[in-house]
Amino acid sequence: MTTTQERIQLIAEACSHDQVQQWTGAITADDLHAWISSELGSDMALETFLAHGPLQSKAIAPACILHIVSGNTAHAAFQSIIRGLLIGSHNVVKIPSAGLAELTDALKHFPDALKELIEIHSTLEQQDWSRADVIIAIGSDESIAAIHQHTKPHQIFIPHSHKVSIGLVYDDFEAAAIHAASDASLYNQRGCLSLHAIYVAGDSERFADLLAIEMEKFSQSNPADSLTVSEAGAIRNLRESTRFRLSNDPKVILLESGDSLDWTVIHEASATLQLSCLNRCVYVKPLPSELNTAILGPESEHLSTIAIHPFNQANAVSLEHLPAHRMCPLGQSQQPSLFWHHDGFAPLASLVKWKDIG
Amino acid sequence: MAQAINGKPISDAEFNSLAMQVFTHQYRQNKPYQHFCNSIGTSPEQVTHWHNIPALPTDAFKAEAFPLSTFPIADARKTFLTSGTTTETKGIHYFASTDLYDQSIINAWHELKLPEPTHALFLIPHPDQSPHSSLSHMMGVIAQHIAQRSSWATDESGSLEPKKIIDATNDHQPVTLFGTALSFLHLFDSIESPLQLAPGSWAMETGGYKGTRHQLTKGELYQLFKTKLGLPSDCIVNEYSMTELSSQFYSSGLNQPHKGPSWTRIRVIDPVTNTDAKPGELGHLVLYDLANLHSVMAIRTQDLATQDQTNLEVSAPCFNLIGRDPTALPRGCSRSSDETLSR
Repeated sequence: MTTTQERIQLIAEACSHDQVQQWTGAITADDLHAWISSELGSDMALETFLAHGPLQSKAIAPACILHIVSGNTAHAAFQSIIRGLLIGSHNVVKIPSAGLAELTDALKHFPDALKELIEIHSTLEQQDWSRADVIIAIGSDESIAAIHQHTKPHQIFIPHSHKVSIGLVYDDFEAAAIHAASDASLYNQRGCLSLHAIYVAGDSERFADLLAIEMEKFSQSNPADSLTVSEAGAIRNLRESTRFRLSNDPKVILLESGDSLDWTVIHEASATLQLSCLNRCVYVKPLPSELNTAILGPESEHLSTIAIHPFNQANAVSLEHLPAHRMCPLGQSQQPSLFWHHDGFAPLASLVKWKDIG
Repeated sequence: MAQAINGKPISDAEFNSLAMQVFTHQYRQNKPYQHFCNSIGTSPEQVTHWHNIPALPTDAFKAEAFPLSTFPIADARKTFLTSGTTTETKGIHYFASTDLYDQSIINAWHELKLPEPTHALFLIPHPDQSPHSSLSHMMGVIAQHIAQRSSWATDESGSLEPKKIIDATNDHQPVTLFGTALSFLHLFDSIESPLQLAPGSWAMETGGYKGTRHQLTKGELYQLFKTKLGLPSDCIVNEYSMTELSSQFYSSGLNQPHKGPSWTRIRVIDPVTNTDAKPGELGHLVLYDLANLHSVMAIRTQDLATQDQTNLEVSAPCFNLIGRDPTALPRGCSRSSDETLSR
């Protein structure tokens, strides 16, 4: 049994390793102290009873958390595991049957005291389901629904299903294009925080041109992973379908990385949010005078993050009515703060229960 | 063109000549397609081989504002719609007449030597109940022109009625069951004990499971045919086609290539290089169908396949179908039927 203080030091140590930090970002002990204090009221909340109104209360971590992670990227898996480790739970991690080498390789650099709190499984036995106090599921809507059927009423279920993110650009196109290229290209667009479409106030066609230039630059400095036949086919299909539309509709613009499939930018007038086929394919659209779910269409229900440029409080608050749980500066969509409410959940507070005295 | 779709072998040279005529016709009469060809710098004057006829992705049929038709769509006597959810945009295939379409079904059946059903039993909605389903239409053609006797195992809403199938098997006469893979799964779920089909019975299944909760391999599905209906895999035919086409491709049993009629050709394209995949290597299927006279004869699919290496000398197309690309959006007639059956 480790104390909160000990776990903070161990996690900070793990996250200082390059191979871990590429997935977790830089996390210091001070960050972790502040994070626990922010979510649980005190960094001692898991250690002792503390004043809570007229009561004395203590946070109780679940003995066992089952994390069912997807193969899209390792980021969400790391975030989920770090949360479980920080509160001191035992963590059973179900990885895709094809494996998740980024996760398993990086976990080798964790201190032994943390490794003891982690089990990696590619298949789950009944006992893995039944011993979990909390089940965190990351995956497609179909996977989440199937996992939910396994949960019992006493188990806390935290779903992270299909999500999509968008960008909004109001001004300063040159800088915005650099940030947008990064947000749409990092991790080959496979995460929930990757931008699928960028809505632009003003000359959106000019922005599409600038974005294409920056996508090419990003691609030169950060070459994309090699594509599977399926992924390559999806890009070809998107490009040819778009080519058909643009040949009949001059408002559609296709900008592409020549014969290679490195990146694709599509400008179109429709404000309806469409899913990209991923792997650095992004839509640019004129920003409608009013942005709401009716205009964005059914995919807006899956909004995760809206990345804004230039970012300010007023711009962000003006989008509060949309289903997204996060508004952030463009260029930072893929680097959420440790403190972010992942899909609206308080990541630590939603895991614990409380004991009261008084 | 009707003379070419007569079930007799067509040499490569003949096919090429006909394909050039069809391409020229479609380029001239189908303006959205002409614009596409122009945008990639291709016109009939520049094309000498069917390989180089520009292929359109199936998604192009979803662009309602730019109908892919060589005739005014106001004159369409028939429209087939792709399946999909209510929120999904559907592709539209217009027909001034289904004469050529029907001829393609009938003559391919004979050319590919598919057995003649003595009693065809359809597990999918009747064409009157599903007038925009190309699959239901095909079943109607089989009922009218190929099968000796036919009946439909669906009710007025198009939902499966297993009792009709059970009753039909009690006649102890051979039956041929036609349905989507999903409709067969519904049948298997609904019968308590295995049915005993009379010797000479066989089944034709089509479609996949994308977008549904079902994820069976072909081998698993065919095992269910064996246990639930007593049909070995060599008594099961898979039909592969799509709303955007006018011809069908068939395979019999497991691990057998799909074959098409002589008025079709295929290419397997490596999407990374956008050139022909090497023999045996995985790629996306591009289909060339002379019977698609009034829309576009060259269709780029999102279905994965390999060129069949054992039949390279054969003019008619032959490919090993791997299945729908997992990255493609849910679609397929099997799914549409599943939604009906689930009502």
